Amino acid sequence: MANPLTLYVPIKQDPLTQAAAQAAYESFVDSVKAGLDASNILHYARVALVPNPSGEGILGILLITTFDGEMNPYLKFFWQNEGTRKAFAGIAAIALNPPSPPVTDLTGFENFINENNLNKRSKDLYKGYTQSVLQIKAAFPPK
Amino acid sequence: MSTPLPPDKSTVQGLIMRGYTHPYSSHLLFRFSSKAAASQFIKALLPYLRSAENWGTNKPDKMLNIGLTFTGISIASSLTKTELNAFPNTFTTGPASQGSQGSLQDYGEGDPEKWLFGGLLTNGNPDPAKRVDAIVHSYAMHQNSLNELTDFIAKAATAAGVVELLPLDGGKGRLEQYQLPVDTIHFGYRDGISEPDLNWPETWPAPPVNTDPADLNNFLIGYPNSAFQPGPSNPATPNASAFAKDGCYNAFRVLYQDVNAFDKYLSDNAPVVAQTLGKSTEYAKEWLAAKLNGRWRNGSPLILSPDAPDPATADATNFSYTEDTKGLKCPFSAHTRVGNPRDEALFPAESPVPRLIRRGVPYGAPPVSDNDKGERGLIGLFLCGALASQFELIYSWINTNNFSPLFSPNFDTQDALLANRATPDMDTTFTIPIPGAAKPLVLPKLPQFIVARGTAYCLLPSIPTLKAIAEG
Repeated sequence: MANPLTLYVPIKQDPLTQAAAQAAYESFVDSVKAGLDASNILHYARVALVPNPSGEGILGILLITTFDGEMNPYLKFFWQNEGTRKAFAGIAAIALNPPSPPVTDLTGFENFINENNLNKRSKDLYKGYTQSVLQIKAAFPPK
Repeated sequence: MSTPLPPDKSTVQGLIMRGYTHPYSSHLLFRFSSKAAASQFIKALLPYLRSAENWGTNKPDKMLNIGLTFTGISIASSLTKTELNAFPNTFTTGPASQGSQGSLQDYGEGDPEKWLFGGLLTNGNPDPAKRVDAIVHSYAMHQNSLNELTDFIAKAATAAGVVELLPLDGGKGRLEQYQLPVDTIHFGYRDGISEPDLNWPETWPAPPVNTDPADLNNFLIGYPNSAFQPGPSNPATPNASAFAKDGCYNAFRVLYQDVNAFDKYLSDNAPVVAQTLGKSTEYAKEWLAAKLNGRWRNGSPLILSPDAPDPATADATNFSYTEDTKGLKCPFSAHTRVGNPRDEALFPAESPVPRLIRRGVPYGAPPVSDNDKGERGLIGLFLCGALASQFELIYSWINTNNFSPLFSPNFDTQDALLANRATPDMDTTFTIPIPGAAKPLVLPKLPQFIVARGTAYCLLPSIPTLKAIAEG
């Protein structure tokens, strides 16, 4: 059964943070692809930069994913994978309200993801199909 | 890196490092009214608190261990909000939370709204009347001794103003061990055969994923090089780290076992099994029971004794699944093969295979008739260093067999004994490959054999931490 993770993290407004957010946005897929591929539970993951109401600068980072099953048992894998760990740690580092205590280990990572997840319930998600990533990959093996 | 010293056993609660074999035990649930009350209560219990130190040749007649939930720690400790935030989300939000239920999948009769303790109101909020702050695990060598000990604990609670929750018999009964034959559960299987070795690593390889998941540093909080990173261990919150050090989490889960449904499943399917095998229906029943579990009821693993139980293999723990790639000896969904797939090929995100320390005991008398719906099952103590990546990961495998390429292409079968059958989109048939047969035997819908009656996530704190709480 697929579940949503919608991570919204408002960020600081200084130039360095704004540039870091832009860089995280531009490198997102390259950074996380290997880890997400290997997880076999991610349907889609995308990142967006939410603009300030004024239209200038970035208000926050929005990460939207749809994954199979449950999230918490797999956070260990994403923390141990260098690409996904750096991507998430990078977002935590530029948060307007930085995690307290700071994210330095798996426990901190688990807490950061859960505290910033806007979707707490699986019923928040519409599903156009019920197959898992594993089932889809088995049905349509790479050519 | 330098080799970390092993923990001082006098600081670790005994339940973690050794399996007690006391024949009598009771697991008492409590709710604190205040920090002072918690302190007074725990102080009163200290004389019976048992560490992991060797007790010599004579087992203690009466002893206990103490677990605290997150709400219990919030009340009983002096940790600040930031320090409390350092505990893992899975622990702080508890087993009834949406995150944990994604793995536990407690639907139907096992819904947290129906739990006897630790559950939710119909609006989804925690039920304050069922809140558990502490669990006292009490053990004794004789029934009289257990009665004395539980009376002592109950009086200590009353004196401190701590409320006891009585989950059974309509709010009158405790969770007390029933004296089945040693290490046997209500379905007739021997239990507790394969436990983690809890060795202290001789070498500390990097990265931590290469360490042995059965080693002690994967269960105790505060030691390096665990793939599961038991926490809290954040240097920014040293008080939280010190509070939790040498502790271990306990997923305390009371599981009703529907013995009549289990026996009926064996009886209903024995004729077709007997016909398939060319054997008697009595043999077919035992064979099917073994295929559901992965071990015969005497304990012999199917991998070593595929055709019949063998006393010589009843305690065997050293075997492999790598040669059984078609499940011809042990079905892929057999309970023990799901709960501990050993060296089976896993997908990268599932590795390494987590282990759990199991300290459960049966409760409730066996049924006396086919219509006996009496309360019985397992008082489950599943100990781990990381609730999410050890306990809940295994539970997610139980409810959805998707952790290995062996389950290709559908990845939608379930643990034959333990899973919740209402988990969405699951195939609840049970497939048993048969050597020499053109097709496997596919048995119809697996019933709901086991129902969660309640769950509490506890920390089994170190002895120094409990003493600090006792001192207020």
